[in-house]
Amino acid sequence: MTESIDDRLAALVGRPVGSRGTSVAPDPVNQPMIRHWAAAFEDWNPVYTDPEEASRSRFGGIVAPPLMLQTWTMATPRITGIAERGGSPVEADEVGPLAVLDEAGYVGTLATDSEFEIVRYLRLGEVVSATSTIESISEEKRTRLGAGRFVTWVTDYTDEAGEVVGRQRFRILKFKPEGAPA
Amino acid sequence: MKESPAPPRQGRRATLDWADIRTGDEVTPMEIDVTATVVVAGAIATRDFMPVHHDRDYANAQGAPDIFMNILSDTAYCSRFLTDWAGPDATVRRLAIRLGVPMFAGGTLVYRGSVTGHERRGDEGVVTVEFRATNDLGDHLTGTAELGFPVPEGGG
Repeated sequence: MTESIDDRLAALVGRPVGSRGTSVAPDPVNQPMIRHWAAAFEDWNPVYTDPEEASRSRFGGIVAPPLMLQTWTMATPRITGIAERGGSPVEADEVGPLAVLDEAGYVGTLATDSEFEIVRYLRLGEVVSATSTIESISEEKRTRLGAGRFVTWVTDYTDEAGEVVGRQRFRILKFKPEGAPA
Repeated sequence: MKESPAPPRQGRRATLDWADIRTGDEVTPMEIDVTATVVVAGAIATRDFMPVHHDRDYANAQGAPDIFMNILSDTAYCSRFLTDWAGPDATVRRLAIRLGVPMFAGGTLVYRGSVTGHERRGDEGVVTVEFRATNDLGDHLTGTAELGFPVPEGGG
């Protein structure tokens, strides 16, 4: 018996996005990475990089930029062969659940929305973990790029005690490029 | 040993008083001259090594005219835009963006926004800001953010 595409997609909801369930940050929240980030975006908010001003602030000390949340748990890249892997910074050790969509012809990918809820700011030395779960996959819709489905996943960022420090909802459109064979 | 000079500071030093903020107030605009260096520096600082954010030949082969800004840089600039205006004691509580046209190297990105909400929530004063970042192709992103401000005990 062959499962329909809708059944196969419905089975993905609630499942982890990556092949691993939870990603643990390779390094704790640290001043060198924060300073590198602040320099890149020329964001010299003193609570990120100036210990004296930060100690007089509401936070009482250095805090990480809230939107660095996602950066802490990014995989350490394997630079050799990155272009040959289609830009994937890590070796894919297993086929992820979204491969079902590629097999069904939705080979195009476009990010459409990113939504952060910041529960609390992180301090130096904390180790963050990220767990991403597929929240929904829409029915097929007509878009300007072609027929597609919106895939939404939710990432919970937790501290070492397992408490949620932030949450991200991310949405992509997986589409069948116009003109491509069906 | 000589210390390196302090980095230039464009943001507000003292945090805005929540009680003085009004619906309709403009958030100080922010303009970014998006050079290739800006795109690459942002991608690497956010640990995003996808070649479309640092390798023009790769981007061209993908059909893009140049390298383009990654989404983690977009949200980083959103938070700088908000806290440069609000001040160092303001916290970003929520940030939701919808992505539009790409931001290719070589263009200018302008952030503009205004206050659309103002309410007391627990021990914080919360301000809602709606904003957009535009380039010569149109809206690169549109968004809504909530900022938390300290308020005096029992005040506000």
